[in-house]
Amino acid sequence: MKVQTGVDIGGLTLKNPVMTSSGTFGYGEEYADYLDINRLGAIVVKGLSLKPKEGNPPPRIMETASGMLNAVGLQNVGVEAFIEKKLPYLRTIDPAVVVNIFGNSVEEYGRIAEILNDANGVDALEVNISCPNVKEGGVAFGSDPLLAGEVTRAVKSASRLPVIVKLTPNVTDITEIARSVEIAGADAVSLINTLTGMSIDIEKRIPHLKNITGGLSGPAIKPVALRMVWETVKAVSIPVIGVGGIMSASDALEFLIAGARAIQIGTAHFIDPSAAAHVVDGIEEYLSEHGLEDIRDLIGTLRT
Amino acid sequence: MGGFWIVKRDICATVFSQRETVERHFLLTVRVPAHFGNALPGQFVMVRLKGGAAPFLSRPFSIYSVSSRGNDTCLEIFYQVVGEGTDIFSKLAEGDLLSIRGPLGKGFDIPPACKTVVLVAGGIGVAPLSFLAQRCREEMGDVELICYLGAGTAESLAGLERLEKICTAVKISTDDGSRGYRGLVTGLFEKDMDRYAGDTVRIYSCGPRAMLKSLQWLLKDNPAVCQVSLEERMACGFGACLGCAVRIRSNGGGFVRVCTEGPIFDIRDVEFSG
Ligand SMILES: Cc1cc2nc3c(=O)[nH]c(=O)nc-3n(C[C@H](O)[C@H](O)[C@H](O)COP(=O)(O)OP(=O)(O)OC[C@H]3O[C@@H](n4cnc5c(N)ncnc54)[C@H](O)[C@@H]3O)c2cc1C
Ligand SMILES: Cc1cc2nc3c(=O)[nH]c(=O)nc-3n(C[C@H](O)[C@H](O)[C@H](O)COP(=O)(O)O)c2cc1C
Ligand code: FES
Repeated sequence: MKVQTGVDIGGLTLKNPVMTSSGTFGYGEEYADYLDINRLGAIVVKGLSLKPKEGNPPPRIMETASGMLNAVGLQNVGVEAFIEKKLPYLRTIDPAVVVNIFGNSVEEYGRIAEILNDANGVDALEVNISCPNVKEGGVAFGSDPLLAGEVTRAVKSASRLPVIVKLTPNVTDITEIARSVEIAGADAVSLINTLTGMSIDIEKRIPHLKNITGGLSGPAIKPVALRMVWETVKAVSIPVIGVGGIMSASDALEFLIAGARAIQIGTAHFIDPSAAAHVVDGIEEYLSEHGLEDIRDLIGTLRT
Repeated sequence: MGGFWIVKRDICATVFSQRETVERHFLLTVRVPAHFGNALPGQFVMVRLKGGAAPFLSRPFSIYSVSSRGNDTCLEIFYQVVGEGTDIFSKLAEGDLLSIRGPLGKGFDIPPACKTVVLVAGGIGVAPLSFLAQRCREEMGDVELICYLGAGTAESLAGLERLEKICTAVKISTDDGSRGYRGLVTGLFEKDMDRYAGDTVRIYSCGPRAMLKSLQWLLKDNPAVCQVSLEERMACGFGACLGCAVRIRSNGGGFVRVCTEGPIFDIRDVEFSG
């Protein structure tokens, strides 16, 4: 049976709901030899800032039970170099290209969005208001409903593209932030970014990460991500993209059933660089096996 | 769109054998596809249990050798048990399945005109250097191969047997003096260092960070080219996660990725203090 897997996310049309998550898929080209990239619905590139950013000193990562901590510190080439050096490759491939952006001020967010208006080959923006690693660029915007709304408004008024706002789980009530960015004009929300955590070397009595704290990702966070996605789906009427600990098609299906319009795969790529392609296959198989011709007949069908 | 040109897919490898050579050091041999035969000394692989939950991330290991045995290509990894992942690997036995990514990273440069190759190995740092020595012997005939090999004690001297077969001379140091020079391998190297200068000499090293740092200091007035293999925690091994950053002087003092721009670097280029 041929199944229909296309989804629409606030004006961004994807041939299937499988996206890669920012910071785990480089600028796409790193994976060219590892999987058939054209099978994916969308690629979200590493978070970009106005100027290149060198990131945090090492050690930057540490394994934890069923997951990992990272404090990469938003290292990136900057928006200009991205357009010049990384975008040409992304234009040659099939999946939608979503550019993840972050700034140090509301104005900077708007400025990056404006620059990307002129870049041919970008299909949508994902606004990172949630990275917990860098004091100036993250937590302040994402954990305050008013600031989150302000950033959203700045990007929306500067950009011609669909705008996805990526939410942090490090808040008391994620639905409050989601509602605020919806009112400010966001076309969709994606969640969750990493959960702030830490880990200690008991022999040396030092943190495993130079940055002391880092963002937790991988299977360890999946139940939390799923719960937050489910709550957010009920709270807003814009599409929700589910992110967090997805390793397999069955993980992805849980998010879709909970109401996510699409999903992103992150840390799983480090375990298996072709993880996203396997998830595409697995979703198609599930739909056929369950006699579902259209993925939209599955999304949000959780029985409670 | 078919996927037949996807050449770097993670491969499923079968354990051929594993044995403990010296205390807590294991020699693991796995069967791999024939293209591993092109691996260069200094390159590494990312290893995890096929389908296993722990360890979660793959572990990076230098290639200790690749060889053909009958119709099979065999890859050797030589590792020390230092934590959870390597402890789990130490229980592997014939027939167990691993998921392997690689060969990854850049190899050592070996100029054809090189006449003397000096290896400075600290502990399990011997792994990539032994592969390098093997290749030099195969491809450069009568090249002079001198290895400085350091360990804690005589019992923990890893990789000695193989090096003795390949090298012109193996000079040993142990921390407790139970065999060879008493002290650090860099101290032993320092005594001979002035002999190693000029265009036809190359120095290669791998070992603990503190050892590489003192080697860098020793070589500050010595013009011989020295390459080192660096270690940093890795998640992907192929340039995507930016987890393995190391500060490099020539890059404007900025970070590069050990997995992609390395793991082999010019010792003078490494910023050990940052
Ligand atoms: C390019 C490269 C080549 C290497 N080659 C060898 C080799 O040939 N033989 C060998 O014995 N070891 C080698 N290492 C070191 C080896 O990767 C670590 O000893 C191993 O990852 C430890 O895992 P663990 O779970 O036992 O330790 P744990 O301390 O429990 O590991 C926790 C986390 O830290 C990481 N980690 C710990 N120590 C290191 C280290 N020194 N380097 C990088 N990551 C580390 C682990 O991968 C894991 O993600 C190499 C490292 C690199 C980067
Ligand atoms: C190494 C690493 C780097 C990341 N970098 C970014 C980033 O630059 N921007 C961003 O919005 N999220 C970033 N994230 C968060 C992921 O996109 C994702 O939200 C999170 O890891 C949860 O998904 P996962 O469990 O599938 O990895 C990063 C995650 C990791 C592991
Ligand atoms: S290990 Fe991921 S970039 Fe080097």
